[in-house]
Amino acid sequence: MENISKLFHEYIKREIIQLGIIFLSPILLYVFNGNGIAFILFLLSLFLLHQSNKLNTKIKAIIAIVDLIVIIPLVGFANSYYLDVITQIGIYAILAIGLNVVVGFTGLLNLGYVGFYAVGAYTYAIFATSQANNFISPAILKFPISGNWFWLFLIIGMVVSGFVGFLLGLPVLRLRGDYLAIVTLGFAEIIRIVLNNLDKPINFTNGPKGITPVQPPAFFGIVLNQTIHYYFIVLVLLGLTIIAANRLNNSRVGRAWTAIREDELAARTMGIPIVKMKLLAFSIGAAFAGMMGVLFAAKQSFIDPSSFGFMESIGILAMVIMGGMGNISGVIIGALAVVVLQLHILKEFSNFLRQLTVAGIINIPSQLDPAKYERLVFGLILVLMCIFRPQGFLPAKRTMEYIKKHVKKLKKTENKKDVFVE
Amino acid sequence: MEEMTGMIPQLLIDGLTLGFVYAIVALGYTMVYGILEFINFAHSEIFMVGAFAGTEVLLFMQSAGYLEKIPAPLALLIAIIIAMVFSGALGVFIERVAYKPVRSAPKLVAFISAIGVSFFLQDAVRLVEGLWKNAFYLSTPTLFTTSINITNTLKMPVKVIYIMIIAIIIMVSLNLFVNKHRLGKAMRAVAQDRDTASLMAINVNSIISLTFLIGAGLGGAAGTLFSVQYALIHPYVGFIIGMKAFTAAVFGGIGSIPGAMLGGILLGLLEVFGAGFLGILTNGVLGAEYKDVFAFAILIIILIFKPSGLLGKTVREKV
Amino acid sequence: MALLDVKGLTKTFGGLVAVNNIDFQMEDKQIVSVIGPNGAGKTTFFNVISGYYPDHVGTITFGGHNLKDLNPEKVAAYRMARTFQNIRLFPDMLTVENILVGMHLHLSSNLFDIVLNTKRLKREEKEAYERAMELLNYVGLEGKDNELAKNLPYGEQRLLEIARALAIKPKLLLLDEPAAGLNPKETEAMKNFIIKIRDELGHSILLIEHDMKLVMGLSDKITVINYGVKIAEGTPDEIKNNPEVIKAYLGDDTTTDAVA
Repeated sequence: MENISKLFHEYIKREIIQLGIIFLSPILLYVFNGNGIAFILFLLSLFLLHQSNKLNTKIKAIIAIVDLIVIIPLVGFANSYYLDVITQIGIYAILAIGLNVVVGFTGLLNLGYVGFYAVGAYTYAIFATSQANNFISPAILKFPISGNWFWLFLIIGMVVSGFVGFLLGLPVLRLRGDYLAIVTLGFAEIIRIVLNNLDKPINFTNGPKGITPVQPPAFFGIVLNQTIHYYFIVLVLLGLTIIAANRLNNSRVGRAWTAIREDELAARTMGIPIVKMKLLAFSIGAAFAGMMGVLFAAKQSFIDPSSFGFMESIGILAMVIMGGMGNISGVIIGALAVVVLQLHILKEFSNFLRQLTVAGIINIPSQLDPAKYERLVFGLILVLMCIFRPQGFLPAKRTMEYIKKHVKKLKKTENKKDVFVE
Repeated sequence: MEEMTGMIPQLLIDGLTLGFVYAIVALGYTMVYGILEFINFAHSEIFMVGAFAGTEVLLFMQSAGYLEKIPAPLALLIAIIIAMVFSGALGVFIERVAYKPVRSAPKLVAFISAIGVSFFLQDAVRLVEGLWKNAFYLSTPTLFTTSINITNTLKMPVKVIYIMIIAIIIMVSLNLFVNKHRLGKAMRAVAQDRDTASLMAINVNSIISLTFLIGAGLGGAAGTLFSVQYALIHPYVGFIIGMKAFTAAVFGGIGSIPGAMLGGILLGLLEVFGAGFLGILTNGVLGAEYKDVFAFAILIIILIFKPSGLLGKTVREKV
Repeated sequence: MALLDVKGLTKTFGGLVAVNNIDFQMEDKQIVSVIGPNGAGKTTFFNVISGYYPDHVGTITFGGHNLKDLNPEKVAAYRMARTFQNIRLFPDMLTVENILVGMHLHLSSNLFDIVLNTKRLKREEKEAYERAMELLNYVGLEGKDNELAKNLPYGEQRLLEIARALAIKPKLLLLDEPAAGLNPKETEAMKNFIIKIRDELGHSILLIEHDMKLVMGLSDKITVINYGVKIAEGTPDEIKNNPEVIKAYLGDDTTTDAVA
């Protein structure tokens, strides 16, 4: 009896703490603007909000909207650093969802994901700077194009990257999984080397010097180059990406992907054309990366091949693995955790140590700057996750919710077809 | 054309030297793959650690003044042996800590774990060297300065001769071990059929450890040879060599020991000749900077058209 | 014309001849069994027919289609479904999803339908779901729709695998040892279930089985394979009394009793 009441109290306490964080942290963040702890607490509250089963869906939606559309922008006006971190999280979340289609849903290891990101970025950057005039005469068309074209380029970036993914996948998707991983890695390296050297004989990419200034997006002539603009663009794209990925996962295509991941031969025996399905997953993943590449180029205004190294691919892979392969909420959490770790915790920790060194309390040589040891941290994370929790923090769970919604919505069709034979 | 024929002997020497390094690293990939059907992604970092271990030994001998007192080949041999022991132990340790716990999980998991190990080691070496030496780029002490004049224009550095001799000794003894020694035969048995081998009273776990020990040891030796040949190493040096060596292993037929040797030497030659001639053949449009593209393109082409490689057997998935 | 017509089928692995020059026919709506001692080449025979080994010799005609050089997915598209000796479900998918995967060939929604969530998609998914639920109930797994396939007990996994195969709407259903690992009571139920599938749904069924009681109790025709060669063919009664078959089985102590 005593145990039960103790459990009950603990349960209540946990619920209260959760709800407290959900409701209070936005206020705290607003009041203590620029406080790192309040910021992390706020991010935690978004996660708790997503996980909470005490609040009904409507209240959850309202809180989420208030958090995302009111609190974050308000905080951003006062302190654009945090807004930028959140925007980064959004960008990586979309990339991670795209990679998750390949790695999580279909079980194909793509180590060259950043190659597709680069393709998208250069697709926009070349035309949104004067770079394109190196191979298209200014007499015909004068570059850069205006930022109004950005929106169309989001789609062009998707199509071009998706097509490159298709071309690469066509021969290599027949290979075994680990070979595929190495080939994609090689592909990304080839892309990087080519970008580095394609400044001659015709200057397409401007080589290692990179391309700048890339036109920021514009909407009917209004230039959108503030952090807050990018925040809202990313928010919309993230919303669309989540919807698309969820719908795919819960369709015949998503089921085929999962079946291929679970047992390739059994899937083939069910009549699933595996090469076609793998190509589809591969191209869709690439398309997401291409779209974000366009955004990245516009947001940074400067791109060079060094932004698209192997480390970037591994960072995105770490998000997918940490969050939970195959689970969309999971990989968003993964993106959040990795970006916060990378941009925030490691940097803050470095700053803290530097301050201590400056103050003469301790003496940490600059070689030991924690911000320089991303690989060590991510390597450790990957190994530990693989050993102790290979399914990630939020493991994927199959449900029939989507289909049941359709069943509920559509009235029973009158004339039913024969179930078993035609 | 004359320009090209004149380059051939020098390119041959360079290509063979590079090819021998690739071949020895490729052996590590191919042996582990043969036993576990697993690409040991961290092998490139084992190579790198070996390079650091060997170089540190040479640096120690230099600062302690031994390097002038003992003959250079002996110094090189000592460095190689210590690097092999160090890397071999590291390889076994990595297998126990990061691979064995995930052996029964899907292959993807083990592979990702290997990537994690690889990344961890890069920065770990940087951290250690940074603390110890305050710099993480090491210049290798010069061991051999002389060259043999083969013709008036063609010189063969003594260094290269020693590297080739050591590489050949390593490969021949590995072949003898695998084909003649009891443990080598057990290794081949495990590679063919792990379950049956364990029924034949072969301790599969120790054979796996032994494979990692030898494969990683070879990686360490290759690292030291690389360091002596190219005179500069850093913690990120393994990645590209590893990719090339893996390409070599696939080229020769992954799982096949003679295949790895053949693949390594061929790839070294192809790369050096490719880089040398690419500029001339394309009138300067494509230069030597595309040599890495060249290697990766070879990898992709082999995997597509002959995934079993030159000397490998076609393996079919069991139904 | 025969539903399945196999002529001169040979499949070798290296030097080993697993299936040697087999001729085989079966008609529509028949239940035919392939029996033989362990290692006789039965499963290889199945695998060749299912399109796993494109490098076989001989011709296979199924429902008028020549299956030469085909892969498993194309064979399935001609409506040949199969189960596996060692059950190959999609373990981390729900039971009903396993069946929905089996329906893949009959669903036609494309990417745009899916991403835009069109009415067409909703209708198709709803119908598919209802059909999957009916199939699940048909094989006796009512109320198990929300379970992961791997969490079902062994016997139910076998049933689910059959339900998944039925979802293809097969012209021919291949069952690879459907009673393996089942107790006598379950085996009897499986026998009746197989007959029910044929009688009620009109499927043709080709099965491999070790359990002689099961085979004798339901087959219209039995084909006996030994060392990759067909040694006998006929009704259960003919097979029981065939001296060749008795000789083949006498060498194998474990199944002698069952034949007698």
